[in-house]
Amino acid sequence: MLSEKKAKPVAPIAATVVGIVLVCLLLVLVSAKPNPSDNAESPLLGQPAPAVVTTTLEDKPFDLARRKGSWVVFNFFNSTCVPCRAEHPQLLTFAQNQLSTDNPAEMYTVINDDDDSAVLAFFAENKGDWQKIRDNDGSIAVAFGVAKVPETWIIDPNGYVRLRVAGQLSDGLLDEQLSLLKVQFGS
Amino acid sequence: MSAKNKFNNKYSWIFMAALASALLIFGGLRDSGPRSQQDRIDAITMRLACPTCQGESVYVSRASAAEAIRAEVARQVGSGLRTDDETIAYIEQRFGSEVLLLPRSSGIDSLVWALPIAALICGAAALGVVFRKWRTADDGAASAEDSALVEAAMASKNVTDLDA
Repeated sequence: MLSEKKAKPVAPIAATVVGIVLVCLLLVLVSAKPNPSDNAESPLLGQPAPAVVTTTLEDKPFDLARRKGSWVVFNFFNSTCVPCRAEHPQLLTFAQNQLSTDNPAEMYTVINDDDDSAVLAFFAENKGDWQKIRDNDGSIAVAFGVAKVPETWIIDPNGYVRLRVAGQLSDGLLDEQLSLLKVQFGS
Repeated sequence: MSAKNKFNNKYSWIFMAALASALLIFGGLRDSGPRSQQDRIDAITMRLACPTCQGESVYVSRASAAEAIRAEVARQVGSGLRTDDETIAYIEQRFGSEVLLLPRSSGIDSLVWALPIAALICGAAALGVVFRKWRTADDGAASAEDSALVEAAMASKNVTDLDA
């Protein structure tokens, strides 16, 4: 009589392997860190800021490299964008508050895909006497990885990118974040 | 099947597998010749996802962010300072890896490439094991139990024939 071979249990082994893979994927998902703050991630954070050479609306040259020694705030803006218009009061307050601080930050509006005349009209109506710089070919937006306006960036006096806020600013956020950055990286 | 036929069959499969692999590698690595700047811009932008759209490449999107990226790619290709991969890496450094339509072949992204291949190999190996087992189990020889059943049936038939 032929001896019968005992069949190996393939199904439980396969199920165990699939189970282990699923558990590993679940662990990766669970261990992914959420971003609890208002600050957006960017590969540029902590890196030297991209070169920005352009002109202001008054046709004066602007070179970010020459702003070293000051905290610089870039606000990417379009006059037809609703959140950009909505956050304008926060920017006015921030600019006003900076006047009473040591080493006040320099603020710049980076015009994103918009006409000079529309931007001038917006600021004439809504105030804001800081510099507005052109980005006619979109190269500054691409260099900073700005996909959608508004976005606000802070660059430290050594020229390193320290903060990115994607979307509309909340009340007091810029003042608070800049104070924290000044403590962390020195003013 | 004779041993010689089995031998020939096995080596013809190996030969076919080697030939298919060689053709795939040749097809993947062959140089298609010089390309124009526009060809390079198109090829690069087809590999980049529009950061503000769903499922559109920078090549097809009309969104302002995609247009700005296309303009930047055109500038970099025009300057001749960066290769295609370096230009894509520049955009990735700004917008993050989400902008890549083709996942990277390193880090955790490489699982996207490795897992299907691993699944294919495991599946083929499992099929091989199962087919081998079936062949071993069904070797054509009757079991002792089967033989006993046949003998009993034959004996019963003989008795019936004699009675008739």
